Amino acid sequence: MPAQPIPAQFTRETHTINGVKTVVLTAGKGEPLVFLHGAGIWHGINFTLPWVEKFRVIVPFHPGFAESGDDPAMNDVQDYVMHYLDLFDALGIAKTRLVGFSLGGWLAAKFAVSHGDRVERLVLVAPAGLRGKERPQGDVLSLPPEQIPSLLVSNFDVIKPYLPENPKDLDFMGERYREGGTLARLLWEHPYDTKLPRYLHRLTMPTLLVWGEDDKLLSLKTAELWRQHLPKAEFKTFKGAGHLVLDEKREAVDAVTRFLS
Amino acid sequence: MAGRARFDFIHFMHYVHLPENQKDYPSLWVDFPNKYFDPEKGYSLYQRYLSELVLADKLGFDAIVVNEHHNTAYSMMPAPNLIAATLIPQVRNAKICVWGTPPNLEYPNRLAEEYAMLDVLSQGRLEVAFPLGTGMEYWANPINPSTARARYRESIDIILQAWTQDGPTKYYGDFYTYRYLNPWPRPVQKPHPPCYIVGTGSPETIDLAAQLGFGYASVFVTKPRARELNEKLRRTAAEHGHHIRPEQLPLQVITYVAETEQKAREEGIDHIRYFFEDALRTTPTFLAPPGYLSVEQLKMRAALADKLHGKFNFDAVNESFFVAVGTADQVVEQLEQWGEQMGTNHFVMLAAPGNMPNWKVVKNLNLIAQDVIPRVRVGTAYERRIAAE
Repeated sequence: MPAQPIPAQFTRETHTINGVKTVVLTAGKGEPLVFLHGAGIWHGINFTLPWVEKFRVIVPFHPGFAESGDDPAMNDVQDYVMHYLDLFDALGIAKTRLVGFSLGGWLAAKFAVSHGDRVERLVLVAPAGLRGKERPQGDVLSLPPEQIPSLLVSNFDVIKPYLPENPKDLDFMGERYREGGTLARLLWEHPYDTKLPRYLHRLTMPTLLVWGEDDKLLSLKTAELWRQHLPKAEFKTFKGAGHLVLDEKREAVDAVTRFLS
Repeated sequence: MAGRARFDFIHFMHYVHLPENQKDYPSLWVDFPNKYFDPEKGYSLYQRYLSELVLADKLGFDAIVVNEHHNTAYSMMPAPNLIAATLIPQVRNAKICVWGTPPNLEYPNRLAEEYAMLDVLSQGRLEVAFPLGTGMEYWANPINPSTARARYRESIDIILQAWTQDGPTKYYGDFYTYRYLNPWPRPVQKPHPPCYIVGTGSPETIDLAAQLGFGYASVFVTKPRARELNEKLRRTAAEHGHHIRPEQLPLQVITYVAETEQKAREEGIDHIRYFFEDALRTTPTFLAPPGYLSVEQLKMRAALADKLHGKFNFDAVNESFFVAVGTADQVVEQLEQWGEQMGTNHFVMLAAPGNMPNWKVVKNLNLIAQDVIPRVRVGTAYERRIAAE
């Protein structure tokens, strides 16, 4: 790895959830804040550090991503919802602040739709999961892997330290290919959830929607779609930020902190 | 020991009328714009290619072989069963090999039906192969590459059940449910037409051929690797109680025969270059959609692709792959040697490589039929040795 993606404040625990090795990073004290990452977490979690000062920040790696194990039988987003139900039980989290980014935003929304009693406040950061008319719609499976990093950010320097110097680094390619396989199991047939809009009215907890104005994967038009379904949600956008709005804009991280405090 | 050597003629039916700027496209597969297909030219090519396949039968080839690819100038056969059906009335003696439709790209009952139709129409001359399908096919068809192998396994089970058990039967699988599996017609050949697996050497695919006692043909792997794969198949099949016969190991050979070696190279190499440099040109992402390969296979192939990168070099291709370009004497010697090394007497002549024009294909087929086949058919060196033992 070119840069150490995990800040020193975090401790690492390994749980076995329904047979799947699940690595969970934890830092800070206080009320729990669970962050559900997107379809790759190689860009690290440094952006979570301001949250660590106020909350017990819990970052699980999804099965099939980063340090967590693989389970080919988990082939539906609902399997991940059930996984997090089990994990929260294992961690003794009765109710939590839930922040989900991109694929993690989809997961967070789907989790909160059916398990609203476990979610104190909900933050959806550039969530995937809805089908709009515009293209592209964050369908990363349709993109050659080497093109993805530059589509994630407005300022490439933000993620450059996390990318290997050699673009053909076999280990990096292999890891991304593995995560692509996980993603294909979940959403090759449909890179969106046609049922989700039907149930979004169940998100009655305070909800914040965060978007980077230069998002090249899921444009602001997708944000509008979410807003139609979540008329009561707060909505904040950030200039000069792409899909990885939390990595690019400290203001976005602070807005989440304020909303969750 | 197994009978005389067998010679097949395989045709890929490339669409060869590419635009001037074709090299600007990194891939002639998946996303190469289909506006470049001209139906008028397509008609002429179909006529010509069909005539070449019919000629091979008249010249005494044992089988003609067609296969399936989608979204590509590489092939005009997205539905090879249509080509096979067109050929049956004209190809009177040769076996008809559809090697084949990837089972994942059709409903298994329908593929069982179509193959049974072809077997009945040809009075039992059909042979089939079950490819997983290249990575490219999964970008062109609405099938999940991450479950491709599991679905493929299930499809083959269903097809074999449809052919070997009296219907109606039931099948409750992970991918397909059949309440009445009862396809009409049923194949002439019992228990079913000869089956092969065609692949690029994934361990999973070899194991499957070994379990089922199917033939196996590796394509686009280097000579030493192909030899290893054949050995592995024989060994693994034996563990499953199957004896793999030499004719179950078809060996695909790019062949061009002419009066002299120099002439063969002059007439043949440009078209072989087209085959490797143009017809096969695609991107790593198209070759390996997510979940299609294991991470180990992906890394292995990525490393290999880097090594093979660069300009076409005939000598390097000649060294790595089964390429026989030369006089009839030279080609006979090569085939006998490879037959012995690979433990096979079944040669699949890739005798219309790339954009080879009709006159060269006709010449090539004639010379192979007159001067190569009869001499190898006396028995390969391998067979003579086995017989002597």
